[in-house]
Amino acid sequence: MANLNTDAIKRRTYDAIVIGSGISGGWAAKELTGKGLKTLVLERGREVKHVVDYPTAQLHPWELPNRGQMRSGVNEANPVVSKCYAFGEATEQFFVKDAEHPYVQEKPFDWIRGYQTGGKSLLWARQTQRWSKYDFEGPARDGFAVEWPISYDDLAPWYSYVEKFAGISGNRDGVAALPDGEFLPPHPMNCVEQYFSESMAKTFGGARPIIIGRCAHITQPQPIHLEQGRSKCAHRTLCERGCPLGGYFSSNASTLPWAAKTGKMTLRPHSVVHSIIYDEKKQKAVGVRVIDSNTKETEEFYAKIIFVNAAALNSNLILLNSTSNRFPNGLGNDNGLLGKYIAFHNYRATINANYEGYLDKTTEGRRPNSAYIPRFRNLLKQETDFLRGYASGFSANRGQRDDRNGWGEDLKTGILNPKLNDFWSVGSHMMGETIPKESNYVALDKDQRDPWGIPQLRISVDYDENDVKMTKDFFEQLTEMYTKAGFTNIRTNDSNRTPGLDIHEMGGVRMGKDPKTSLLNEWNQLHHCKNVFVTDGACMTSTATQNPSLTYMAFTARAADYAVKQLKAKNL
Amino acid sequence: MNRRQIVKGMAATMGGLLVLPAWASAWNTASLQGFQSKLSGLEEALLAEIVETIIPETDTPGAKKLEVHRFVEKIITDCYDQKSRTTFAKGLTRVASMATQSYAKPFLSCTPAQRLEVLTTMSKSADADEQNFIRLARSLTIRGYLSSEYVMTKLMGYEMAPGRYLGCVPVKA
Repeated sequence: MANLNTDAIKRRTYDAIVIGSGISGGWAAKELTGKGLKTLVLERGREVKHVVDYPTAQLHPWELPNRGQMRSGVNEANPVVSKCYAFGEATEQFFVKDAEHPYVQEKPFDWIRGYQTGGKSLLWARQTQRWSKYDFEGPARDGFAVEWPISYDDLAPWYSYVEKFAGISGNRDGVAALPDGEFLPPHPMNCVEQYFSESMAKTFGGARPIIIGRCAHITQPQPIHLEQGRSKCAHRTLCERGCPLGGYFSSNASTLPWAAKTGKMTLRPHSVVHSIIYDEKKQKAVGVRVIDSNTKETEEFYAKIIFVNAAALNSNLILLNSTSNRFPNGLGNDNGLLGKYIAFHNYRATINANYEGYLDKTTEGRRPNSAYIPRFRNLLKQETDFLRGYASGFSANRGQRDDRNGWGEDLKTGILNPKLNDFWSVGSHMMGETIPKESNYVALDKDQRDPWGIPQLRISVDYDENDVKMTKDFFEQLTEMYTKAGFTNIRTNDSNRTPGLDIHEMGGVRMGKDPKTSLLNEWNQLHHCKNVFVTDGACMTSTATQNPSLTYMAFTARAADYAVKQLKAKNL
Repeated sequence: MNRRQIVKGMAATMGGLLVLPAWASAWNTASLQGFQSKLSGLEEALLAEIVETIIPETDTPGAKKLEVHRFVEKIITDCYDQKSRTTFAKGLTRVASMATQSYAKPFLSCTPAQRLEVLTTMSKSADADEQNFIRLARSLTIRGYLSSEYVMTKLMGYEMAPGRYLGCVPVKA
């Protein structure tokens, strides 16, 4: 019997466990297996294999059952997820249904989740801008949150490392607020985007650059991409269905198959992590408690190191639910700050206008990218009555319209011969930094449980006065820029949308120098439980304005490198 | 080139690492083929002539030949609420009765001009249901027609994978 037991434990023992297979979990899997560690990757959702499990990827519009329209009742039954721009007939299989995964909205919060192998890396917007030194220095300079324990220079080599493998297209713009990376050839800006860039260079003397977005699309495959089985992006812009070419970076197309190739990875789908097991004698984490979502049975797996990559809020949930005598309030939570200082990105403001130049020009083909206005507000010094700033997207399109007024042959002629608009449509959306505050938090609900018996996450996150002022400034500054560029019919819109829809929720397990005011150290280790690493959005001390995934990838690769070195030095 | 060949080609460029999934051979299975109409033969013929009246055959196929009536019925059935479905069913009946009242013969026996007259009259009707029916029938017919394989591939230059973005090309005269 004793032998049986020992064998069973042995079978369930790995060198490392990675919780989550999304954009950061995939990187943890790749790095840890690549360094020889026998690694268990736990995914709470179903398995989605690259290409094979992308059922809509090759469907033409006329082949979709309802040609893109959602079946009646689906949106009504999913009031949260149906608000997501990427949710639709061709993509719904990659989103969780609201009723199946309940949570408590103490304040309205649209929590968008993708529970499957690869997580939301199948669905992301693929924008990959580096943070700059101004972003890492922000909290210390401006006196909010806590100081970051690392600087841009610490992360820069890891940005390079992940960029080369993931495949990032971009232009070397030399913008201090948005450092250049290891770029594949950039997508072009179109005539009006180029015009706007030049016009603003004249007006602001270089202080407000407008560049093409850096994005995770392979514009020119390198040997490392071909070796992953990925090829050049074909500009289908059907990305959220899963890309059969591997044209954009996802865990499914890139890091997970790479990890699998080492023979060191065990990927276990349908594995809902209940908690991390802390051993009071060893004074470290020894494994993970998992509920199999098919059988509902609890199983335990053991490892020397654990990477928590469950996506920002779920990583908080797991740690909060990992209680022991030593940690009655959640793993590593001596200071009571676990789950607090949640922040996100303010995406509620958009501005649109017309431009009546370049009417003899148009565009051809499609582009899975847009232009980008790096943050210019409060960059070098505090210059407004709000903290921090915003980046913006910018895109110009030569729209067309058809004439649907007639009947019969007239109608047929009208709709088959669309005419280009006599203007270009231009627009920007704000990507504002929100300030992490103790009052924005997640916690375990005391009563309500999810279908696996785990406490539901209670989310209490909201805007504040800083966000309102920033939104107003965005409208003022962009209106001024649009006006100076000669754009007309300028329309601003504040959607007042609920936090969460940005899908950039961050924090709760923040990094910092001082264990009294932070949960993680400079290597993403829990201060008080050093063999647990948190490298997804939960680790973020502040949010900056950039789309965050690239930074999670860099953090993960850096932390995995450190973890394995420490493991080999027998420090963990 | 059919879908299977395309996917196979893709597999080749990726080092043949994949097993062809089931959907790879579904190239010619238009989504409408699996759809069972709940309309009677007569009702289906009526709807077919309505969409054909809205977008008729010329030197290119009209809506009927492109099975837009089947698309319209499917979308109404799958994607609209009960109220809209009722409005639609009532509208069909109304088209039939209006043809009989105006021309003393079924819609199907009317001339194209008479059919058009029935629909345009209903579009200007004081009855909101009649107007709504025509608005729905028109917009779905236009959508079904423009999203049909024939129109997209033969008339509108559809490309699933353009492979390019050119940001500044001269407008064709």
